Amino acid sequence: MAVNRSVSDKTLLDKFVEDFTAVVGRHCKYVVVSGFVAIAHGRSRGTEDVDLIVEKIGVKEFEALFKDLAKNGFECIQPGTPEEVYTDYLLEDASIRFVRKGSFVPEMELKLAKDPLDEYQIKKRVRLPLTGLNVYYSSIETNIAFKEEYLKSDKDLEDARHLRIIYAGKIDEKEVIKIKKMIKRYRLR
Amino acid sequence: MRDKTHMEQVERWALFVKNHKRSEWIKHVKPLIDSQINMADRFYQKLKKQKNGMEKIRRLKERD
Repeated sequence: MAVNRSVSDKTLLDKFVEDFTAVVGRHCKYVVVSGFVAIAHGRSRGTEDVDLIVEKIGVKEFEALFKDLAKNGFECIQPGTPEEVYTDYLLEDASIRFVRKGSFVPEMELKLAKDPLDEYQIKKRVRLPLTGLNVYYSSIETNIAFKEEYLKSDKDLEDARHLRIIYAGKIDEKEVIKIKKMIKRYRLR
Repeated sequence: MRDKTHMEQVERWALFVKNHKRSEWIKHVKPLIDSQINMADRFYQKLKKQKNGMEKIRRLKERD
């Protein structure tokens, strides 16, 4: 669903995320996760980076994505050829970071789906019209579950509380519990 | 651990967002977010010009 709004009511973060994901979306499925989900819902805090999970693509697909991102003004902070970055970072389950050429912030922290929980987030990805952005996000239930069960910092618990208030009465609590169980299984073992 | 008034403020703001159109709440949030990004980038650009600036930036970013 395309969102038709004037550019002026988008933050620098909004524009960065929309521009970046527009390129990524041409190559693979992705989800924006964590802090930006709360910020895009009006949470009053800043951040320097946005977290993005993409489906587990091969090196050839990544090379095409990497080149398309470069063509559209984004550069990878990690040094090396696309193949080297893919092998040295992404295949090691480490993230890589992209910025607009000539800038240091914001950063897009990109990683490949590494386990069934990441794959589940991509499978259940959603557009969230309240954000006003043409972007795929992990579900509200997923974000709440991660922040309450796994991340747990003051900032994360406040993000979760913010989302719970915004979506009061619309949150599938059984789904939150299901994802928390998956977090325990795949991340807290 | 932040004190409970901090969470109370988070809740008050979330209710404001919930009960107002995006065009209303974004007017309050956009200056904060844009300023933070601009100030951070300005800081890194200045740091870059210092001796070993890029190395300092790399070390700062590694802490994130």
